[in-house]
Amino acid sequence: MNIEEVKQQAGPREFSPRDDLPREYREAATRMLEFHANSEIMGAYLERPFIRKAPSLERKMAFSAKTQDEIGHGQMLYRAAESLGIKTRDEMLADLANGDGKFLNCFHYPMERYVETPMIAFFVDGAAMRRQATLKSSSWEPYAHAMDKICFEEGMHVKHGESILRELMSGSKKEQEMTQEAFEEWWPRILQFFGPTDDQSTHHDFAEQVGLKTKSNDELRNAFLNTYMPKAEKYGLEIPDEPRIRDNGDGTYEVVEDDLDWEEFFTVSKNEYEGSKQQIDSRARAQEAVQWVRDMLDGQATTGDGPTPQAAD
Amino acid sequence: MAATDADLGAPDELTERERDAVEAQLFRLADDEYIQAERYTFWQVRAPTLESDLAVANNAQDELGHARLWYDAIQQFGYSEESLLWESEPDDFQHSTLVELPFSEGDWGDAILRGYLYDVAEEIRLAALEESTYREIRERTSRIQGEEDYHVEHAENWLRRMADDEEASRRVQAALDRLYPYALTLFEPVGDIEEDIVDLGIRDATLEEMREEWEERITAFLMDLGFEVPDDAEPATPTGRDNEHTQHWHDLHEEMVSSYRNLGRHEATKLMDDE
Repeated sequence: MNIEEVKQQAGPREFSPRDDLPREYREAATRMLEFHANSEIMGAYLERPFIRKAPSLERKMAFSAKTQDEIGHGQMLYRAAESLGIKTRDEMLADLANGDGKFLNCFHYPMERYVETPMIAFFVDGAAMRRQATLKSSSWEPYAHAMDKICFEEGMHVKHGESILRELMSGSKKEQEMTQEAFEEWWPRILQFFGPTDDQSTHHDFAEQVGLKTKSNDELRNAFLNTYMPKAEKYGLEIPDEPRIRDNGDGTYEVVEDDLDWEEFFTVSKNEYEGSKQQIDSRARAQEAVQWVRDMLDGQATTGDGPTPQAAD
Repeated sequence: MAATDADLGAPDELTERERDAVEAQLFRLADDEYIQAERYTFWQVRAPTLESDLAVANNAQDELGHARLWYDAIQQFGYSEESLLWESEPDDFQHSTLVELPFSEGDWGDAILRGYLYDVAEEIRLAALEESTYREIRERTSRIQGEEDYHVEHAENWLRRMADDEEASRRVQAALDRLYPYALTLFEPVGDIEEDIVDLGIRDATLEEMREEWEERITAFLMDLGFEVPDDAEPATPTGRDNEHTQHWHDLHEEMVSSYRNLGRHEATKLMDDE
C-alpha cells in the first residue's frame, strides 16, 4: 500500500498488522503510541508517592490500583506499538530512561502535596479521556482495540479524582484554600495539555489524514473546557482570570495563547525542564538498579534454561 | 470439630479475658498485613519489568484488602480507622519488624525473599485460625486463604529462577542472612496473653509450633535450591510484637500519616458507600 492508498482507505480500525503499510504510516503510529505508553508510565510514576501518603486506607487502595492500571495500559500500548515493526518495547523503555522518550507535559511537574492529586486524577485524566475516547476510532486497529479497555478504566480513575476533589472542596477552609492554590498552579499546564492551537501543531495534519487521530487539538480543548469549567466551578474552584479564555458563545472557547508560557511548554516537551529531568532521572535510577533482574530473565529466556519459564513474572 | 462447636459468640458477648485475647490476635494480623503491603508498594513503578510491576501491585492490594478485613473486625470493639491508623503513634502497632524494614534500591532479591518468608508464615498462621472459636476470625480466614496460596507460589517461582543465576542467588543469600532474625520475630509473643489465645481456641497452634513448622518448610525448600539457612539465629530485637520498633517504622509511619495531618483531617474516607 502506498501513502495515497492509505489516505483513501483510512477509517476507524481499518489497518492491522496483516496490512502492508508504508513506513511513513508505521512511524507516525509508533510515535503516537510510544508517546501515549510513555505517558502512562510517567503518570504512574508521578502519582506513586501518594499510595504511601493517601489519608485513608481505601484511598490508599485506590491509588495503588490506579497506579497498577496505568502500568497495565503502558503494557498494552507498547504491545500495540511493537506490532508496527518499527521499535521494540525494550527500545522504547530504554529511550524513556535515557531521556529520549517523550510524554505528556503535565507529567513533568513533580507533585508535593495531596491537594495536587485531583489536578492530575480529575482534570488531566479527564482531558486524557476526551482524547482517548476519539482514539477508539483510530485507523490502527491494535490502538483502537487497546483503547476499549483503557477508556473503561480511565473512567474509574476520573471518578476517583472527582471524589478526591469533591472531598477536599467540601472540607475545612484550609483544605479548600490549599486546593484552590494547587488549581491555580496547575490550570495553565492543564490548558496546555492539548498542545498549541492547530496551526502550530506539526504532526497533526498527517496523523489526521491517515486516520490515526480523528479530532484536532482545538476540538478536543473545546470539548474539555465545555465540560470541565462548569465542573470546576460546581466544586467551588475559581477559574483564574489569566490565562484568558474567551467564550465564543457557540460552545467553543478561545484560549489566549499569549497568556500561556509556551517557552516552558516546549522546554518540557524536549524533556529539558527541571521537573522533566527529576522525574526521568529518578525513574531511570530505579530501573537501572534492577537491570540485573532483567539480565537474568533475558539470559534464561535466551538459553531456555530457566526452571519455570512461564511462571515468574 | 470441637473448636468450632465452642463458639465464643459475637463481639459484644465476649468476656474481658476473651476479648483481650481476640484483640491480641487481630492486631498482629492487621498490622502485619498493612505494613507488608505498604512496603510492597515501594516497588510499584519501580519493579524490574512491567509484568513484575503488575504482580507486585496485586500482592500489595491483596494484603491491603486483608488488612482492611482485620481492621474491620477490630473496629467491632469500638475502635475507629482514625484512631487505629491516622491518629495513632508508631508504638501503637504490633507488626513484626520483618515487614517494616525498608528495601534498598534495586534489591529485588530482598523483595522476593521477604515475601516468601512472610507468606509461608502467613499460610501457617491462617491454617491455625481456620477453626477459630471466634467466628469473625474464622470467616475472614477462609476468605483470605486462597490469595495467600498464590503469593507463596509466586515467590517460589521467582526463587527457583534466582537460584539458577549467580548474581541473583548471591543477593538472595545476603537477604536471607540479613532477614532471618527479623522473620523469627513473626513468632514472638505480645505477652502473657499468648496462652489465652490458644487456651480459648482462638488459634489452635502455639507460636512455637508454628515457628517449627515454618522453619522446617522454608529450610527444606531453600536448601533444595542451594541456599544456606541459618540454624542458630535468635529473633531480632526489637521484635515489633512488644510495640517496640526500629527507627525505620517511625520514619515510615510519619510519611504515611503526613497528608492526614497536613490537611488537618479528623476523618478517614470510606469509599465503599461512595456514589
